[in-house]
Amino acid sequence: MRENREIRYTGVGVSEGVVIGRVLRVHDETRYVYRTRIEPDELDRELRRFRAAVRLAKRQLLSIKERAEQELGKDHAYIFDAHLLMLEDQKLISDVERFISEERSNAEWALKVVCDRLLAVYSEIKDDYLRERGSDIEDVVKRLLVAISGERPAHRNLSEDAVIVSQDLLPSAVAELDLDYARAVATDTGGWTSHMAIVARGLGIPAVVGLRDFYRRARTGDTIIVDSGRSQVILHPEPDTLERYRSFTDVEVKHPPAAQISAQDGGQVKTLDGLEVTLRANVELPAEYAGVKDYGAHGIGLYRSEFLLSRRGLLVSEEQQYTVYAEVAKLAGEHGAIIRLFDLGAEKHADSQQETERNPALGLRAIRYGLAHEEIMRTQLRAILRAAAVGKLDIVLPMIADLADVRRAVNILEEERQNLDSEGIQQGPVQVGAMIEIPSAVMTADKIAAHVDFFELGTNDLVQYTLAVDRGNEDVADWFRTLHPAVLHSIKRSIEAAKAAGITAIVCGEMASTPAYAVLLIGLGAVDLSMTPPLLPRVRLVLSQIDSDKAREIAGECLECATADQVENLVRRRFSTQWPNLFSPDKLPAANDSA
Amino acid sequence: MVERILVVKCQLGLHARAAAKLVRLASQFQSRLSLERVDRTATADAKSILSVLMLAAGRGTELRAIAEGNDEMEAIIALDGLFDDGFGENDHGARS
Repeated sequence: MRENREIRYTGVGVSEGVVIGRVLRVHDETRYVYRTRIEPDELDRELRRFRAAVRLAKRQLLSIKERAEQELGKDHAYIFDAHLLMLEDQKLISDVERFISEERSNAEWALKVVCDRLLAVYSEIKDDYLRERGSDIEDVVKRLLVAISGERPAHRNLSEDAVIVSQDLLPSAVAELDLDYARAVATDTGGWTSHMAIVARGLGIPAVVGLRDFYRRARTGDTIIVDSGRSQVILHPEPDTLERYRSFTDVEVKHPPAAQISAQDGGQVKTLDGLEVTLRANVELPAEYAGVKDYGAHGIGLYRSEFLLSRRGLLVSEEQQYTVYAEVAKLAGEHGAIIRLFDLGAEKHADSQQETERNPALGLRAIRYGLAHEEIMRTQLRAILRAAAVGKLDIVLPMIADLADVRRAVNILEEERQNLDSEGIQQGPVQVGAMIEIPSAVMTADKIAAHVDFFELGTNDLVQYTLAVDRGNEDVADWFRTLHPAVLHSIKRSIEAAKAAGITAIVCGEMASTPAYAVLLIGLGAVDLSMTPPLLPRVRLVLSQIDSDKAREIAGECLECATADQVENLVRRRFSTQWPNLFSPDKLPAANDSA
Repeated sequence: MVERILVVKCQLGLHARAAAKLVRLASQFQSRLSLERVDRTATADAKSILSVLMLAAGRGTELRAIAEGNDEMEAIIALDGLFDDGFGENDHGARS
């Protein structure tokens, strides 16, 4: 057996995308602190050294807090407010100063002793969540130790393709990362709602958290693939694996020509043979808002409203939601924004206090959750209807099984419309669409299409449900095949049902943002894609250089295939011959017909 | 000296954010403000975040707030308001 054989780890993918890069281990900076005895006449100097470090740490935290407020929103910057208060807390500061004076100790040692005492008390706390706050104290103390040493915080010297691997990244360390270079993140701890996860989504970088003991196995410089969509990281990937990933990720569009990303495109791109394709933005966090305009998206194709709930299931009021939706509407401009009702339940709430379901992906989630907890759904609908008076907003219903779900949701919507009317509260018109991601919805797509204003195809869930493969389960990762003929047939069928009914079908899963897949989607009849804003230029560039007729021809051949292997081989072979400049043969593995 | 019993209503208890709000509010008053678990297992200085976090006050915990000083009444009313309002988190109790 080779020494560095490929190993796959499964955690929780908390954002979108795939990155191939090199490991950069970021420790949690355990510093060895030694005791030195301070001469009485040096004590004043030692105290001043400590106070200067406190001031420096405060300045750093203030700027981190400002940055976090801008990039992530006020709600997520609160943690740094708590850190600032700790630096002002006499319980910490005067205890350290007293220890320095009384024990004639150096500042580092004094800080360590006082901190250890505090942590000992915290470790006794029975409430899990509150006990974790001990990590906030450690964070503050580490910052102080670095400040005392006069060094600058680490994690700044990142190489071009650094994938940050860590046991746990403290919130302030995350906020300080030089994110022009961090390409992805993989950590041992954390979950969907951990701070790291929220930040990674905000920045649009792939992240897999909760990898348990991955950190100690990775070495700085190791090749690593972070596949957030499949909740996987692959260490020491085999050449085959690497090539397979490269063929779908490596269309280089580092510096797209200005024209490619100019907002004047209005989010349209034309293929060589003149087919117009609409490109919209998937948005979740305030940090992504600027991207909608910068990358020239045709409004917001998918606004994931769960962001509002990311503080572990705390529900927000109608007013708070109204404010956010109104902002989204303004931001989206004339093309508007489509708000997906809360996709609650399942993995996104893994750490809530609810009893766990045996089969969450098949359980009470998304529209089912909303129909079972009507008050939550009504609050959200009211907020959206009101915000629609400010700008163009539409609603998409997640995880529709069939027309019955649509009818129930629409009835509730109508009731809230009337309620607002009778209360004399201003509201705007909204269209209602259905997410097509369950096979039963695909099979009855024509029936659903007659009663909604548009479709959205969520390809990630569509793959999971069509192939009966849990996308978080490592043991069945080989069965999770986006290019399975059954998936392609489902997509085609849904798009055709929409066309026949004269409504739009937007493909908004991760599939749309991967150039090779996007081309195939066009071949299957898609003319409307939605993706994370930074990925728009890449897809725009590729689509502007293909012939939709050719894409249709290749897609047609794919639909004749019996297995995912056959489709993948076919795609590699045909794409590299057809568009060698876009999908160059040296980036594609040799076709393996025996597969 | 005035005192009042307050109940922690926010979902996650007196977590970092709620504690930060509490400390910022308490620090605006001159009076000494302390919080004590009604089971008397812990007492905290309401102006110290580390001390407040150490109350380990989860949802539903009852705390006795004690204010002493020239603005004690205003202080206790302000604290009461903050607790009553669930620290402005509007949690609706919908996850229960």
